[in-house]
Amino acid sequence: MNTGALISKQNPDGGWPYVRGKSRTEPTAYAVMALLAAGEDAYADRGIRWIASIERPEGGWPTQVGVDQSAWVTALVALLPPERLGAAAHARAIRWLVATVGEESTFFYRARQWLLGAPLPPEQRFAGWPWVPGAAAWVGPTSVAILALEQEARRSSGAGIRERIANGRQYLLDHVCVNGGWNYGSARPLGYESNPYPETTGMALAALRGVSSPKVDRSLNLAHQFLSQCRSADALNWLRLGLLAHGQLPAGFCPPSAIAYRTVPESSLDLLVAATAGGTAMFWA
Amino acid sequence: MNPMKHQITRREWLASTAALTAVGCGRKIRIVPSQVSIVKAPAYDQSLYDTVRRIFAEHRLDLRGRNVVLKPNLVEFEPGSAINTNPMLVHAALEAARSLGAASVRIAEGPGHRRNTYDLADAAGYFTNVPDFEDLFVDLNLDDVTRMHIPRQVSGLKKLYLPNTVLRADLLISIPKMKTHHWVGATLSMKNLFGTVPGGVYGWPKNPLHWAGISESIADLHSLYPRVFALVDGIVGMEGNGPIQGTPKAAGVLVAGRDMVAVDATCCRLMRIDPFQIEYLRLASGGLESHVTEMNIRQIGESISDLATPFQLPPDFPNLRMKVT
Repeated sequence: MNTGALISKQNPDGGWPYVRGKSRTEPTAYAVMALLAAGEDAYADRGIRWIASIERPEGGWPTQVGVDQSAWVTALVALLPPERLGAAAHARAIRWLVATVGEESTFFYRARQWLLGAPLPPEQRFAGWPWVPGAAAWVGPTSVAILALEQEARRSSGAGIRERIANGRQYLLDHVCVNGGWNYGSARPLGYESNPYPETTGMALAALRGVSSPKVDRSLNLAHQFLSQCRSADALNWLRLGLLAHGQLPAGFCPPSAIAYRTVPESSLDLLVAATAGGTAMFWA
Repeated sequence: MNPMKHQITRREWLASTAALTAVGCGRKIRIVPSQVSIVKAPAYDQSLYDTVRRIFAEHRLDLRGRNVVLKPNLVEFEPGSAINTNPMLVHAALEAARSLGAASVRIAEGPGHRRNTYDLADAAGYFTNVPDFEDLFVDLNLDDVTRMHIPRQVSGLKKLYLPNTVLRADLLISIPKMKTHHWVGATLSMKNLFGTVPGGVYGWPKNPLHWAGISESIADLHSLYPRVFALVDGIVGMEGNGPIQGTPKAAGVLVAGRDMVAVDATCCRLMRIDPFQIEYLRLASGGLESHVTEMNIRQIGESISDLATPFQLPPDFPNLRMKVT
């Protein structure tokens, strides 16, 4: 999908749907970033106005209108330029992100476990981000939150931002599968090795930009294998971004022509990755 | 086989005591048996189309002018595995529903692990086995939702956002894979309802339901969907460390009926699992005096004893095995 096709999918309210229908926060945020990267500011600004209109009182963003809870998509909103979203709204998004942890990392949960005599599992040492507050941290939302906070950390030295990034990255390193790569959560649920997924491997690698570790090296090797075999648009987008973050995307790599881009996030992210490869870095400006 | 031979929990003891007290007070408790079909189905082949049509006819499904949603179980794709509902069975159900005059038949699912639902469906063979699949399919993770109050709250959840495609259906047909499950013992038509909870609201996995209690959340979901039919894919199921890393298990059977509790209890007996040890069945049904009990199920087709085959139990559930006398 080119930018024209993306623009054609914009709803009258300024937002974008996943495929068709009502506007949602995730596709709108990705579409806005892709259009900003392409210089289509007018359409992007309409999307930003829609996003600004659905902020929740607690300073986060819901996944869609009518759902009364802020969620992981707040990280995508925080990736938008503050000068376009509005500095105050952007600061609230950052504050919400900094304050949000997986339920297993909350004071009350840890105190309860301590009182019960339950040892802290090694993979719960560091706090990641949940999809929604009140649930555990997972690789996907943790990766996106790190990308947003890392971008913010280059603008300001807000309290707690660097610490959350460092902890989040440790969370990711603690969740690497035995042969590299990431599943969506634990690397050993119930004592069994879990298999890595291409898309979460790409996401985590993007969030670990600049981090050197044998675990990262193993995961980069796996990402190269995934890249040559994978036929999922979503997975290929994140693999490309993850490899780009470490300077390892093969020169001239293009996704196979038969790949189906079915959703607005898939199409937008494809444009964003191409822009990033071309030097217009939306994720690590 | 003696289905009454199991360890009675305090909840079941209280339910039984209450029932006996009611009888003693002169109130007659009568449970209408639920009809469950057990049908031999040795392979995924063309005969499935006729088999599913016969099952729907046996249960007198009146689908004329109705909106039907077929809900398979799509989780992950691994070549050679038996993780997902076979697409040919889903297509057979689609054709059977159309032949009964359904106004619309959609296939809908919201996988709990992978976000790229269409890619998963493609890898699992849905695009090649179901003509026009992309037009028929609804990704429930991304569907529009309605906030629902839970009528008979078992879990800690006070509300659930559920997809409109399912809520507006005249009939939801749950088409799960017959599998063991490392968190709840067995995953069948009721556990398959987890796939109707939108990842777009709750994430991947739908982790708030885990925190609220998986079995309890299944019981809540069961109470939210009154217009259902279950068609369980036990042709090749999964045993051991299901629902993903287990081993394929050829059981050669389809199990179907309107009452998910009765259908799932029957599946358990076919897997040689004691259904009274499955927490969500107890929570959804009320225990002994319910459609978990074999005498409250009217089985048609094959007998359990003829088709039962012991599924290897999940590692953390050594006490699920049904005691056969």
